[in-house]
Parts: sequence; structure tokens; C-alpha cells
Amino acid sequence: MNPNLRTSSLIKNNTFQSYCRVLQIICETRGTNSKINKFADCLKSFENNAELFLAAQFIGEGAFEEISGKKSSVGSRTSALAAAAFCEIDYDRVFKPCRTATGSSSETIERLMENVDVAVQKRDPKNLSLSDIKNIFEELYRAKSRAEKEAILLETWKKMTPVEIKFFIRMLGQGSLRIGFENRSVVASIAKAFGQNHEEVRYAHMITGSLGKTTVLAKDNRLSEARFRLFHPLSFMLASPIEARLVENFEQYIAEEKFDGMRAQVHVDGEAVKIFSRDLNDITHSFPDIVDFFKLRKLPPVVFDGEICVFKNNTILPFQMLQKRMGIKKPGGKILQQYPVLFISYDLVFTGGMPVFDLSLTKRRLLLEEVAGIYKLPITNQMAIMSPGDLEMLFQRALDHGNEGLMLKLKNSPYEYGQRRKSWLKVKRPGGSLDTVILYAHAGSGRRGGTYSDFTLGISVKEDERYEEEFIPIGKAYGGYTNEELTLINQRLKEITIERYGPTLRLLPRLIVEIEFDNIQVNKRTKAGYTLRLPRFRTIRWDLGPSDVNTLKDVEQLYNKKLEIQPDHKSLNSSIIF
Amino acid sequence: MKIQKAGYHGLFFPDLKISVDGYHPEAEIVFVSHAHADHMPRNRLANVVATQPTLDFMKRRGFSGYSSSLPFFELFETDLCSVTLYPAGHILGSAMIFIESGQGTLLYTGDYRIPPSPATEGFHAPEYADILITEATFALPIYKWKPHEELAEEIRNFAKESLNDGFTPIFLGYNLGKAQELMHLLAPLNHPMMIDGAGHKLCDVYENHGISLGSYTAYDRDTCEGKILVGPGTGFASHLSKTRIAYCSGWAANESRRTQLTVDKLIPISDHLDFFELIRFCKKIAPQKVYITHTPNPAVVEYYLEKEGIHSMYLDLEPEPED
Repeated sequence: MNPNLRTSSLIKNNTFQSYCRVLQIICETRGTNSKINKFADCLKSFENNAELFLAAQFIGEGAFEEISGKKSSVGSRTSALAAAAFCEIDYDRVFKPCRTATGSSSETIERLMENVDVAVQKRDPKNLSLSDIKNIFEELYRAKSRAEKEAILLETWKKMTPVEIKFFIRMLGQGSLRIGFENRSVVASIAKAFGQNHEEVRYAHMITGSLGKTTVLAKDNRLSEARFRLFHPLSFMLASPIEARLVENFEQYIAEEKFDGMRAQVHVDGEAVKIFSRDLNDITHSFPDIVDFFKLRKLPPVVFDGEICVFKNNTILPFQMLQKRMGIKKPGGKILQQYPVLFISYDLVFTGGMPVFDLSLTKRRLLLEEVAGIYKLPITNQMAIMSPGDLEMLFQRALDHGNEGLMLKLKNSPYEYGQRRKSWLKVKRPGGSLDTVILYAHAGSGRRGGTYSDFTLGISVKEDERYEEEFIPIGKAYGGYTNEELTLINQRLKEITIERYGPTLRLLPRLIVEIEFDNIQVNKRTKAGYTLRLPRFRTIRWDLGPSDVNTLKDVEQLYNKKLEIQPDHKSLNSSIIF
Repeated sequence: MKIQKAGYHGLFFPDLKISVDGYHPEAEIVFVSHAHADHMPRNRLANVVATQPTLDFMKRRGFSGYSSSLPFFELFETDLCSVTLYPAGHILGSAMIFIESGQGTLLYTGDYRIPPSPATEGFHAPEYADILITEATFALPIYKWKPHEELAEEIRNFAKESLNDGFTPIFLGYNLGKAQELMHLLAPLNHPMMIDGAGHKLCDVYENHGISLGSYTAYDRDTCEGKILVGPGTGFASHLSKTRIAYCSGWAANESRRTQLTVDKLIPISDHLDFFELIRFCKKIAPQKVYITHTPNPAVVEYYLEKEGIHSMYLDLEPEPED
């Protein structure tokens, strides 16, 4: 059978079931172009705009539109427990081992729904439409208790086929549908389906932040209506993490110090001010001091990108202070006085009556400096990088200022909203490194299903009188290794496994890993008394043995050394210009 | 009945002085269920009894001990017990080992498949056994195989479509059993096939026992383009740019294999029975006790058998690495 024929014949009736079967075919198709063609065919088959809207939204954004800021309140445990109840199987004794074997809760549910007789008998597929599904998502969003949510799930699954149930759960999770189809490909499919220019579709998507709207505009030939509008949030440009030593072509970047604050977008027009958070929620009411700050200055229409920081006595205070302000909808006078905030701009995307995100960073910066100069606004200080030595020096200076590290921004890059690429890089110094031993391996889930990808790492307490063990856990690492290293570790695991508990293996202390981490914190609830922030692999030390592992005493020393470093606030004026 | 370990994966019955699927110095005879590496004794001192195809495979795979063949359904008597082999449907020659003695009856399944692979002698089990020792490789309710004809169609269609589109189809399957079953299913296409060298030297055993494998030669890198390729590894035909790869195994039921192996198609065709057939078979034999081997999930089987009123426990042997 020709798979193309299959796709278009499937989607003729435009049900959620036929839609999910297309998703499954896309999953099973290799090659981005073939996937794009299949989804383009699918989009073309929709006549009703409301359904077409959802077809594009569900595949790329999930149950709720990204710009709605809505998140599902159905956790994976809720859906797994509901599925076990639906199939009348024991959650702990049957469902969990199945999930360990597949590495995916939603795939497990799909297959149990297909295989278990009781589940087959309960299910009577009703050809739900995409709008029906949208209504169910809304109903789940409104449901308060777990019992209420579970009741809705059980009722819904009765009307679905297994493949519908799988994708329904994945959409609800707002994560990836795991069909190897990124939003970039959805955009390409929209262009292809309706014979539109790919760049215009991409632009419309960036402006609207909505795949649904973009598709409908493309179909109705109204892409030109997609315009940036003041007081409507634009998706943020995001930065990729990188290590300083890995930065190439550093001379093409500028550096800014990275503040430990809260990313925000400020829209201003005279006395009208709106503030949006990174997930595009309106957080204006939480920061009346920022609103007043801008109202006073009576700016022309401008949209800024920057960071909210607690700012007192000419000093940026640590993130912990800002946390006192977060989540408070209407802060009282006392809080405002104790934790005053300042918005520090580092980019602007709208000025002079038009969006400027297509301009290069260098040109946007000139515009920003101009506005900031006239209206007395704080902006970041930008620094040129001439040599790797500069990078090291600037980095150290940022740390001395009490900041997190550096942002490196490509000088000729446009404002790539909604994208996380290599135009913006964030460089954070690891807080330190340790040689540790792997004590436990845990099976990964999702993309890492089927391999052991999470590792509990131990340090030595062999000669520590406080402990009886040889090694105690100090942290758990999920990354930092290459695929090859992960394969090598997995090959080794079989030989050194002592015991197996479900998805977890207890190992002989044989594999030594050099890890790095962002920070050490005291944590009385752990055996070691310390936790590492963001531990990750630096390299596997095949050359070392269990006797080379760092001790708890080493950890204590590292911690004490960190305490001695005090931020040097005197030279703050080189972090920002105000 | 006393049961001990014999060799790496086998069992020794000290009261009967025999072992299955593993050498034990006190066993007078080793009955071998089939010729997969984890069931086959390698010790030259082993005195092996097995079906003729199993012995043929073992010899080609380097076994040089003393052996005698035992046809299916024929009684083999020792001083302490009598043994009958039943076709297990797993690979050619695979047998379940049925042991009758003063201590009652015992059925050791080895690896088995219901319904049987078409490239075997079929499947046939005794009516009853007091003790059932069963493998449980796919012992979770997520494993339920599609009808065999449907899988056979998938396999042939994958080959046909790939060839039509100008791609060389590659089927990944284990060298003994899976590879020959695939060839047997692909034979009606009348398209030349190439099989991995280690699998190739086992093919004539199949043909000698009347199973057609189509027209095939051993894998040759220089001339493999455009042929249907069958073999165990992904390194196969790596110099060709236009290939499509199908992974054929019970483990292909798990979606995670797709990205782990980067293959074009997962075809969940297994040499083992699925979970539901396993429970059904245990119920049918209705033994006093079931011992479960070769599984990562004995607790799930125990739980389901307990619900059926069948007493079972895990016989602690290493899980099987290869499907």
C-alpha cells in the first residue's frame, strides 16, 4: 500500500481518530520531508476552520494554546492510575513494570487499552471530533479534584481507540508528542498545504505565537493580517547553555553579564504599561513599582526585553530576594519597600511604530541606547570580546559582581523570538567538580526509554567515622555524557549489577565519573548533608578506581571555600548602565 | 523434585541424574531444548540428547561432545525416568522436554511459541504435567502479538515497497531461527536474498528438513545492492545510501527501539509466545506448580497465575539477553 494514499484516505472524515492515525504514520515515517508532506495532506483535508485550527495546535502546542499560558492539571500519575483502573489491573504490580519496560507511560496505556480484554470491552469508539477533544481538555482544566479528573478521563477513554488515548495523554502533558515532528516542520507543512510562502508563514507564526491562527490565516490567504501588536506578548528569544571553553568565533559575539533575575517583556505607550513573563502571562499587577517607573517617563510606544531584579542601595540582590515578590498578585507597601525591583533592559523589539526584530543586534542596541539615554532607563553594559582571555576576564568579573555568568550574543543576529538557537549563549561556570562513583542506574523515560540514563553518584566515606558505609549518595546526574559514553556505560552495567528494583539497578562501585555542578548547598535531609545543584557528567574516568573517589570531607571543603567569596558590589556600574 | 543450576542457564535434576540445557558433572545425560547459545552446553564431556536439527545446528556452532538424536514423541528411558520431546514452535528442532519419573511428571518448555513459527515442526504439548517449568520472556500484558499472517504481510510488503522505491531492504533478525523464518516468509516474492555468513551456514539444515528458504546466498558487500538482506547487525550494507531497515523481534513492540536502533520499521515478530498465550498455556496444563525462568518480570506472571489459582514461583536464572 502506498503510504501517501493511506494518509489522505484516512483523514477524509476528519475525526480525532483519523487525525491520531496520521500522527502515528508521521511517527513511523523517516525523513523530515516525507513527514511534512503527510501532515500537509492532513491539513488540506480540513474544511472547517475551527477544526483546522486545532489540527495545527494539537500537533505543535498540545491541549492548550501556548499563548494562553494554560497548563494541564492532569499529571502523569493521575492518567496512569486512571488507566490502571480502566483496565482493571493492579497499578503497582502490573502497570509499573509495564511502564518500566516501555519507558513511556502513554505508550504503556495505549498497549494495555489494546490488549486487555476488559478495556477492549469498555471501549466503544465514537468518532470524536477535534472540537470535542478541545472541550474535554477545557473540562479537565476546570476540574478541581483528582477524582473529578479521573472520572472525566474514564468517560472519555470509553469513546476512544488506543492510539487516540495515547496522543490525548501526550497532548495533555503539553510535552512533545514524540513523533519526531518539530514546530518548524508544522510551519513547513502549513506553507506546503496552502501554497503559501514559507517565510511569510514563519513570520505569521512568530507574530501570532499560534500555530492554529497561522494555519487559518494561511488557508484563507490572510497571512498579511498577522502583525505585531503592542500589549500582546511576543515569544521570547532564548539562550542555549554552553561552556566558556567551547565558544567558537567569539569575536562575532558581544558579552553581557547574566543577572540572576526574572525574564520579562515590557510594553509601554505613554501611561499604559504591561509586563509579560517568559511564559507570556500578564504579570503587570505583581510589579506596580515597574509600572510607576515607566508611567513617570511617558515613553512613546516601545517593547523591551530584559530582566526584573531586586535592586536596593544601587545593588542587585540575589534571586532569593526576588522570590519574595514572585507569585504575589498585589504586593503590599511593606513588601514593595523591602524588595524594590528594577527592570533592566537588554533588547527592544518594537520602536518607532514598527517591530524591529528583523534588525541585527547591533542596530537594535543603538536604538535601545538612544531610548534609554533620553528616558533614563537602566540597560545592560555590553562588552566586546577580542580574545579568549577577554572571555575569561569578563566571566570572572561577572562572578565577582555576584552575577551568574555571561550572556554571549551574536552581533548580526535578528531577534529570533520563540527560538532557542546558538545566537544567544549563556555561559555559567560550574561551581566545581568531583570524582564520584555510580551507585545506582535508573531507566530513562520518553526519548531515553529503554536505556539507563539517570545515575545516582556517590562519594567516599570509607574513612569517615560518622558513617558505616563505604560510599554515600551525593547527587543524581541526568546528562553531560555523549551518546557513545551512554552506550559504553549501559554495556558495562550488566556486569556490575548487584540488584534490580524495578527501573533501578544497584551497582558495584566500579564506574568513576568526573562530574561538575553549579553549586553546593547544605541539605540536612540527605545522608551527606549536602546537595549539588545541577550535577552532570564531565567525563567518565576509566583510568580511576573506587579508591580515587572524592570524599565527603572534600565536599565540605569546597562548600566552605565558596562561602568565603563575597560579591564585590563596588564596581557594579560596569554590569549595567543607569 | 530437587532442581539445581546446570551450567550458565540450565537445570540439573539430582534425583534423576539428568540435566536440561546445561552441563552438570553429575548428569548422565543433558537434554537440549534447542540450539540457541544460552541453551546449548559447550562442555565436551556433556552427553547430549536432542532432536536431529538441534544436533545439526550445535555441530555447526562448534559443539564436539557425544550426542544422540531423539525424534519428537519417542520415549527415551533411563534407569530413573523416561523423557519425551515435544515440538516447541520456537526455531527448527526446538523441543519441550517432558520427564516422567516416580516423582510425577515435569514439563520443561525451553523457549516456545504458540502459535508456532511456520519454519518449525509446529507446536504440540502433552495434556498435563505435575510441574511446569516455563520461560516467560515477554511476561507483561503490553506484549500481545498480532496474527502471524498479518506480520507476514507486513514483512513482504516492506520488502516489496522498498524494492519498488529503489531501496535495498534489510531485515534485522537473529542468525538462527528469526533469519530463516524471515527468508521462509519472503521466499514467495522470488527475489534474491543474502544472509549474514554465520546464519548462512545454518540454512541447509532448514532445507534438509523440508523448509523452503527461497533463493539466497551468503552476504557479500560488493553485490548486495538490490537484494533482500537478512542479518543480525546494523553494520550490514553500511556503504549503501539507499537502504531501508526493518527490525524484526518481539522487542520491536517497544517504540523506544525505533530511536535506539534508527530503523525504518519495527516488526514485532517474536520467537516466543506472548503474555496472554503464556497464561492460557499454564491454565491448560494446570500443573500443581509452575516455575518461571528467563524473565525480567516473574512477579507479574506469579500475580496473574495466583489469580487463576495456580501456585508459581521464580526459578532464579539469569534473564535471556537475545530474543
